[in-house]
Amino acid sequence: MNVRTTAIAGLAVASLVLTACGREDDSGAGGEAQGDAVAEGKASGTVEVWAMGTEGEKLGDFVSEFEDANPDADVKVTAVPWEAAHDKISNAIAAGETPDVSLIGTTWMGEFAAADGLMPTPQDLVDEGDFFPGAWGSTEVGGTSYGVPWYVETRVLFYRTDLAKKAGWDKAPTSWDELKQFAKDMESKGGAEYGLNLQPGQTGSWQSYLPFGWSNGATLTNDDGTEYTIDSPEMAEALDYYTSYFDEDLSLTRTLDPGELEDGFAKGTFGSFISGPWHTGLVEDAGLDESKYAVAPLPGPDGGMGTSFVGGGDLAVFKDAQNPDAAWKLVQWLSEPDVQQEWYDEIGDLPAVQASWDTGELADDPQLQVFGEQLTSAQSPPSVPTWEQVAASIDSVVEKASKGDLSGEDAVKQMQSEAQSIGTGL
Amino acid sequence: MSTVKHAAPAPVATPPVREARRSGPRDPAKRAQAVAGWILASPFVVVFLVFTAGPVLASLGMSFTDIRSTDMRSPFAVAFVGVSNYADLLQDPVFRKVTVNTLLYLVLGVPLTMAVAMLVAVGLNSISRFRGFFRVAFYLPVVTSIVAVSVVWKYIYREEGGLLNAVLGWVGIDGPGWLDSTSLALPSLVVMAVWRNFGTLMIIFLAGLQTVPREHLEAAEVDGASAWGRFRHITLPAMRPVLLFGAVITGIGYLQFFEEAFVMTKGGPLDATRSVTFYTYDQFSFGNYGYAAAASYLLFLAIVVLTAIQFRLLRERD
Repeated sequence: MNVRTTAIAGLAVASLVLTACGREDDSGAGGEAQGDAVAEGKASGTVEVWAMGTEGEKLGDFVSEFEDANPDADVKVTAVPWEAAHDKISNAIAAGETPDVSLIGTTWMGEFAAADGLMPTPQDLVDEGDFFPGAWGSTEVGGTSYGVPWYVETRVLFYRTDLAKKAGWDKAPTSWDELKQFAKDMESKGGAEYGLNLQPGQTGSWQSYLPFGWSNGATLTNDDGTEYTIDSPEMAEALDYYTSYFDEDLSLTRTLDPGELEDGFAKGTFGSFISGPWHTGLVEDAGLDESKYAVAPLPGPDGGMGTSFVGGGDLAVFKDAQNPDAAWKLVQWLSEPDVQQEWYDEIGDLPAVQASWDTGELADDPQLQVFGEQLTSAQSPPSVPTWEQVAASIDSVVEKASKGDLSGEDAVKQMQSEAQSIGTGL
Repeated sequence: MSTVKHAAPAPVATPPVREARRSGPRDPAKRAQAVAGWILASPFVVVFLVFTAGPVLASLGMSFTDIRSTDMRSPFAVAFVGVSNYADLLQDPVFRKVTVNTLLYLVLGVPLTMAVAMLVAVGLNSISRFRGFFRVAFYLPVVTSIVAVSVVWKYIYREEGGLLNAVLGWVGIDGPGWLDSTSLALPSLVVMAVWRNFGTLMIIFLAGLQTVPREHLEAAEVDGASAWGRFRHITLPAMRPVLLFGAVITGIGYLQFFEEAFVMTKGGPLDATRSVTFYTYDQFSFGNYGYAAAASYLLFLAIVVLTAIQFRLLRERD
């Protein structure tokens, strides 16, 4: 009896507490004004930075130049593994115990900004026009920018030049019709088992599929980012085109194991595939060199360059930063074109600042120039806190369309209705 | 507790004993003992309240709100939404699909695991040489890292160059991509889970078999009962409590099926191997904390109901 009374009392208290709280109408990010400009003068004090992966390992030494120029400033870099980074940042924001600056994956911007964790970018800190537009777009949540792009990556077409030559192609395809013919020729004359490998759904396949939609003129949201506009004829047509590669046996309908793609590409099982800059290294590790493979921009539907996906990392300063002034100065320094170039030389991250591509290795290397060219039009997905969930639902619909007989039209309707019920979360 | 000890020497409970029990707390010595007991227990009680009961109640509360990861800075500024998370879950076609999958894991996995474990336990019970060796060998998968094992099995199940299909190839069968088919992927995962998990039950059943009265078995043998008859009518009934325990822990394990699917199929193809736990994990990583909490409580409820049913079916018959 006693236990039950206590339980009832507990529930009553809990429900009172719960009913007492409620959402304020204006919760969430967006509509905030950009921050005030940072003060003139040199940076001072300690700046705590979190960075992931190779960036986290190398940044500590790299910033010594910044510390030389700002003798009173001390930059402390903590390396965080990518796998743990999302939760660590999210916990830090919840607890109000954040570092000053962190590297933030572009698709996390919406969530952390909406959690009220990030500080709007100060006015006149950097010039938006210096960056690739798609990369800058990833920092904007609800119309307010919450960071500065640091490095970028984009998806291009990788193909075996030797097989292409055998198939009668001495240049890369430049339209959707050509791409399809190219894939067919790679199989029939080039000797590849699969002409063009595309991802048949599952995690991250939206990054392969959405570029086809964007190239076809589709958009994911309306201009103010409040409503999804996935259900469009352009999107449906793009999906039908995408899935036709599976229907015509030009692409494998199962998900590849890690390493299978590079090995298969080296062996000539796959004639071509679409991926990001890290694959140049992986492909060369698998035994190919630039005489046997090349990269090319994604073709647009009617010729010309298509619109690819831009990912990468942004630098953001937290609302709870102890030393926001020096933090923004560090971010500003990391966005200078020559610093971006040095950073590329250091670890190979592609610069987000366009001017860095005008000189040096980035300007001379034809392969890198393909990425640079593709980046000028590449797009980022909408920076909304629910993006990961919307992306997962797009992945699962792409899988249904690739493996089953769901038509493009029905598929995009399904994507739209799922995205709508998930909402933007802003 | 101390009253029980008091009562123990006197098996016949008489009214005076009850009287003494009731007056217990008023006895100053007893009270001092109780206070000391509580003081000694307080570290555990505090840890339990803060780290077990607290989070459990908080997550129960969360399941009635629309809390998301973006609310973590002000966790109380969320809306109370009643049971709508639960209602939405029951409407969600993906949740329905993963519920069916989880039930399939359960109805395929539990009987299979128990049958294999029983078979091996009976086999091991009847040999005396190498018993220790086989016991270790069969138990080994249980102590291996589940992720490592899943990765290895993923290669066994591969369509091209997978071990299983290579073996099938020797007898002229062209094996499918076991994990790439919507109908074969789930049973394939169950087979692997059985291989990995039956060791625990085998050890428990082996211990249970030792408790079956040898005289009963010998008497039945003298009366001409067949081996199957002795197993069916003497061994199995004697092992009822052990079987109940096995069914309950195995059932709970399959209801929480997650790691194998996470590593080997990522829930695919077409959600064919996604389980309720996997779905909950997804919802947590999407930041839908309220919704995910509701999904875990539905699973909790299912486990309670299932366990109650098993207790009813397998309880000792009077």
